[in-house]
Amino acid sequence: TGISGGIAAKELTEKGLKTLVLERGRDVKHQEYPTATKDPWELPNANKPTQEDLRKQGVQARTGYTVNQDTKHWFVNDLEHPYTEKEGSRFDWMRGYHVGGRSIMWGRQSYRLSPMDFEANAKDGIAVDWPVRYAEIEPWYDYIEQYVGVSGQAEGLAQLPDGKFLPPMEMNCVELELKKAVKDKFGRAFTIGRTAHATAPLAHSPWRGMCQFRNLCSRGCPYGGYYSSNAGGLISAEKTGNMTLRPNSVVYELIYDEQKEKATGVKVIDGVTGEQTEFYAKVIFLCASTMGSAFIMLNSISNRFPNGFGNDSGELGHNIMDHQLGVGAGGEVEGFEDQYYFGRRANGFYIPRFRNLGKEKRDYLRGFGYQGGGSRQGWGSLVAEMAIGEDLKKMASTPGKWTVGMMGFGEILPNHENFVVINKNKKDIHGLPTLTFDTNLKENEFKMRVDMKNDAVEMLEAAGVKNIYSYDNITGIGLGIHEMGTARMGKDPKTSVLNKWNQVHASKNVFVTDGSFMTSAGCQNPSLTYMAFTARAVDYAVSELKKGNL
Amino acid sequence: MNQLIDRREALRKTALLMGAAVSATAIAGIMNGCKATPDLNYKPVFFNEDQARIISELAEIILPKSDTPGAKEVGVPNFIDTIVNENYEKEDQERFIAGLTAFEEDAKKTYGDGFIYCKPEDQIALVKKSLGAAIQEKKENTATKKPFILMAKELTMLGYFTSEPGATKVLQYEAVPTKYNGCIPLNEAGNGKTWAT
Repeated sequence: TGISGGIAAKELTEKGLKTLVLERGRDVKHQEYPTATKDPWELPNANKPTQEDLRKQGVQARTGYTVNQDTKHWFVNDLEHPYTEKEGSRFDWMRGYHVGGRSIMWGRQSYRLSPMDFEANAKDGIAVDWPVRYAEIEPWYDYIEQYVGVSGQAEGLAQLPDGKFLPPMEMNCVELELKKAVKDKFGRAFTIGRTAHATAPLAHSPWRGMCQFRNLCSRGCPYGGYYSSNAGGLISAEKTGNMTLRPNSVVYELIYDEQKEKATGVKVIDGVTGEQTEFYAKVIFLCASTMGSAFIMLNSISNRFPNGFGNDSGELGHNIMDHQLGVGAGGEVEGFEDQYYFGRRANGFYIPRFRNLGKEKRDYLRGFGYQGGGSRQGWGSLVAEMAIGEDLKKMASTPGKWTVGMMGFGEILPNHENFVVINKNKKDIHGLPTLTFDTNLKENEFKMRVDMKNDAVEMLEAAGVKNIYSYDNITGIGLGIHEMGTARMGKDPKTSVLNKWNQVHASKNVFVTDGSFMTSAGCQNPSLTYMAFTARAVDYAVSELKKGNL
Repeated sequence: MNQLIDRREALRKTALLMGAAVSATAIAGIMNGCKATPDLNYKPVFFNEDQARIISELAEIILPKSDTPGAKEVGVPNFIDTIVNENYEKEDQERFIAGLTAFEEDAKKTYGDGFIYCKPEDQIALVKKSLGAAIQEKKENTATKKPFILMAKELTMLGYFTSEPGATKVLQYEAVPTKYNGCIPLNEAGNGKTWAT
């Protein structure tokens, strides 16, 4: 029931199909977000993780921002849901098991892939070609943007197509200044983040309110100010009367019928009682998240599929991608002392990709975008200062220096060598096997990081930013929480798992529409793309079903 | 240290026996030019009572009561006890206690008495001396782990500015802003104070 499952549920039910929605985790009803309206003084430990929290959620805390007192209940207990990283490799797997999945805690940044992204693999001779081109997905981007509500500014860029936007959020004083320098001195675009926040009423979803600029999104928004499955797709699905939502239903295997040459259903363990059940359906949508779906397919062994469901190509579980980050720069901006802002904008600026466009050729393929923001410092900057006493109070109550920073989000190439396999030796709390990852950033990524750091510094310098610092903290794949690619789509069943309709090549009634279908990653935050492909796949599946082809 | 506390306690008890006519503070002042043992307004879990008293007084020196509440009043000492106990790694806990002990030793060496008994101006001087050294140390070697006084100042500020009085009286807080204005004159941004969040 994450970002893809919510849309699948909505689309399937609205097209009249009786739909059973299986969610592995607990139920979470919209507005039942336990910390959503707590003030800072109502949270224990100043909202910071305790050593006990880190003992249970040490992996989930690798981001540095996910395990806090206000959000830790949205992330799994690593002791109950372990995985393994092959020696010398690292994979950061941040996830939550509950209705809505990560659509509750997602970053909400919503960008379209561009024509050049869909053509990139073919052009570069990397991995396999996307079986889809931008023109085919464009109407589905339109459709999804209008449903979820995406706030943004049209810019007319080839590398970042415009969408059907709600009003953009404002930039603050120093961001406007930086925008001018980036545009004037480099000719690069600089736009406000495109984000799935309702900055205007959504007529089709009157139960959703508008963004209140609290910036407490990852706690869950009781206003429905941003899109989540809980506030969006699942409510739309519920309203059709065609949905049965069953939480605590851990799907662990697809049932394959050799005579019918398709899947007839799924096997489920009840997450609370441990009871095992089977459910049968004409059409199955796997929206279990990239690694969740990879697990279910790898764990579905039959005579027909001895290496995992639909895995004739040997690509299932391979080509893991993410967006590499943890590299960027920041500094202080002089002036603007008499200016400030009101409200907390859960959004920043975005510098769309500018490398390897047109004729430019760097020593690496593809590119990266930057996400960043400006703000005035708070009391934190006064810790390592001499001030104490009443002076300290006075200084703390006066807004501090303006600062601005940006971090790169870089494309990771699909590579067969980045993969995941089933681990039968380590079991999770349900007694199910687990996953072992063998993933690492490779040469192209490392070369790109050099630009990701230097270009950020260069733009800040050009804008007159002072005391510039830069950083390059190498991360594991997965830390961008944009994992994708384990069941890629392609034209040839010999080299891909899914066809252009997200349909398993070798089992036509199974569709996989979470991030696992991605053939390449682009550098854009991917959830919007998952939702668009999900809606398109449902449309196709229902029409095929009506034709008797499934 | 224990001996000192015992002496104070003895004096305090004497004062109580003598009734309200002469306060413990007055006796201590007469006899030593210093002050009585300050009250502890919470029950420490991680610190012992001696350590907790030093932390309480230190927090109040860092953020004292003025026209807005001080650190003690908003529960900062209790907060520091909780954070060091529950959030700090063992290594940081040990560093914190070692630093606290050294800080107290410095008070005794410099003023001949524990920190909590020192005159307010001497307490301020001690904190500033310690702060200055710590800032210098961090400047010379940025990889240095945060010295005690910086940990204590940070925790004091964290506890204070996430408390309701700290967030709403010294800073400003707007639970539900409903809008975002990115670039406006300071005096139109609420009351112009730093946003708490």
